[in-house]
Amino acid sequence: MADAHAHLSAAVNTVLGTVPADSLGVVAIHEALLSVLPGAQYAYDITLDQAKIFDTLASKLRAFKAAGGGTVVDNTGMFHGRDLPLLESLARATGVNIIASTGMGPEENLGGYFLTPQTNPPTPWPADKFADLLAQEITDGMVIPRLERRAPAGLVITEADAHGITPTEVSLFQGSARAALRTGVALSVRWGTDAHAELAHVLGEGLESNRVIVANLDRADAVAEGVPATVAAKGAYVALDHVGQNDGSYIDDAARVTLVTELIAAGHADRILLSSNAIGVAAGLTPVTLPYEFVLTEFVPALRAAGVSDADVQQILVDNPRDVLTVRGGKA
Amino acid sequence: MGKVNTVLGPVATETLGLIAFHEHIGYGMPGSELDSKWWKTPEQKYEETVPKLRAFHEYGGGTFVDATGICNGRDLDYYKSLSAKTGVHIVASTGFVGGDTALAHFAHASVEYLADQFIHEITVGIGNSGAKAGIIKVGVSRGGRMTDLDKRIYRAAARAAKLTGVAVMTHLAIDAEPAIEIFGEEGLPLDRVVFGHVDDGVNHDKSKDTWIASLGGRIGFDTFGYETELPDPPFWARPRKDRLDHFLRFIGEQGYLGQVLASADANCSPLGWPGVKGHTVNYIFEDLIPDLRAAGIDEATITTIFVDNPADFLTLHN
Repeated sequence: MADAHAHLSAAVNTVLGTVPADSLGVVAIHEALLSVLPGAQYAYDITLDQAKIFDTLASKLRAFKAAGGGTVVDNTGMFHGRDLPLLESLARATGVNIIASTGMGPEENLGGYFLTPQTNPPTPWPADKFADLLAQEITDGMVIPRLERRAPAGLVITEADAHGITPTEVSLFQGSARAALRTGVALSVRWGTDAHAELAHVLGEGLESNRVIVANLDRADAVAEGVPATVAAKGAYVALDHVGQNDGSYIDDAARVTLVTELIAAGHADRILLSSNAIGVAAGLTPVTLPYEFVLTEFVPALRAAGVSDADVQQILVDNPRDVLTVRGGKA
Repeated sequence: MGKVNTVLGPVATETLGLIAFHEHIGYGMPGSELDSKWWKTPEQKYEETVPKLRAFHEYGGGTFVDATGICNGRDLDYYKSLSAKTGVHIVASTGFVGGDTALAHFAHASVEYLADQFIHEITVGIGNSGAKAGIIKVGVSRGGRMTDLDKRIYRAAARAAKLTGVAVMTHLAIDAEPAIEIFGEEGLPLDRVVFGHVDDGVNHDKSKDTWIASLGGRIGFDTFGYETELPDPPFWARPRKDRLDHFLRFIGEQGYLGQVLASADANCSPLGWPGVKGHTVNYIFEDLIPDLRAAGIDEATITTIFVDNPADFLTLHN
């Protein structure tokens, strides 16, 4: 009964409201539209030219659509430049579905409000407070700081420190998992040094593995240890989300093609997600200027050349993101 | 005598009048803006703030120095409107309350970059408001010891102060040795720095106020009114008489009247915390000055504390 209801109302939260899950089309699931390092908005040497930002992003989104793309997920979270009126206007102007995310991380990107609160001693936030803050971004809508709430978030994101998850990030991971569990929205985690141990922090909260995306699994150290396959075997989604980025810390696209074919051969086609982590407009950080359609225009032909079937391509680019982004019945 | 940057432009030092040198229009930790439990409408913020500034003006207050640094909810266009509509001079600060209130972009930054940020805000303006900062805020992070980031901010502040002539105010005077060393290395005279919060309930016994003063530093007794006698005192509260006696000792037998500044560190309309009910900048007029008079302090001394000392301190020295 509950399952039938979930299927009938299968819907995804976009910045313009809920849409039927079947209407997403090809999804670029780990991308950034406007990405602002916390604090860069106050920097004397950075100007956020709203008109120029809109034009840049609109033309990138139109190119994505022209190449067959349907939906872009902005995975910058709630404190890294998320500009909801901008995203809403872009979605309306381009016809591309835009899904915005809630969440924060790593710890070094959090505000002092969460790390050194005005209490004695200044104990960092516990998991339940993060859970409440993040769940509210879904139940009541995403915040425009100190102004108003808009549409519900479509994804919870979080990230561990690259040198190893910190105690506060453990709280943040647990709180993010609780928010996902409570609201039925999926959770995407960027791992620091140990993908399985960090995944365990969120699964330990009772979140089902098929509601979790492990991001950055095309990192060379993860691939060397076979982590993508073992994460998929656990039932979580495996995001190979630096397609087109071929620097030293990630595997290159040729190795990505091999990895995808291996995961498919191992029966994990329904766990694979592909994206590029492009940054449309960056402030305070280095932009990643790949087009949002890079997976479609460059990587899919390479997959096909390696013998990946159309059905598998459809599964990876359309069905898997649809399934993970579909809001499930939350447990209030 | 000179000039001071206010949010509505530079003014002559002689026009400052009585100065509340360490106050907040509204302070919130970075990230608190994401938590809707604290949100207030603009109507509510003005309603909470304007009567306090108007009363300050009517009591004879001239200048309100806002000690809210970058990333803590500083809002220059709002300050400009408040100043214009109440007749109170408002001086805004650049800098940071402490390293733990500097967001990632600044936490990763070099001393040179931080100095450039401060210099820009003092000489060109803050954001696109056109308003120039009149003072630099620095401070010690929670935990009681200066962090590496705190030290970079102090060093950048020293360079910006030296170049622009504005003064530096600190949040906390604990662990002052590295601060004094940095100011010395950068060639900033200590009379261009006020070491603040020497009087609060948590840190007064760890703050070497007379030692800092003996080296030439200015000393801020600037948490007046945060008293344990309040119905719901904050953790940094202190018994009223203890603080007053500490202050009287410092300006009396210890002889540092010429280096003292006093303020209430109140929020007109707090942004990311509940604030302390009933505590306003007007504690200066309603409680502190009457207490000083009752203790036998004469009018000339009161003028020294609230007019002459802060005016000399705030005046651009370059």
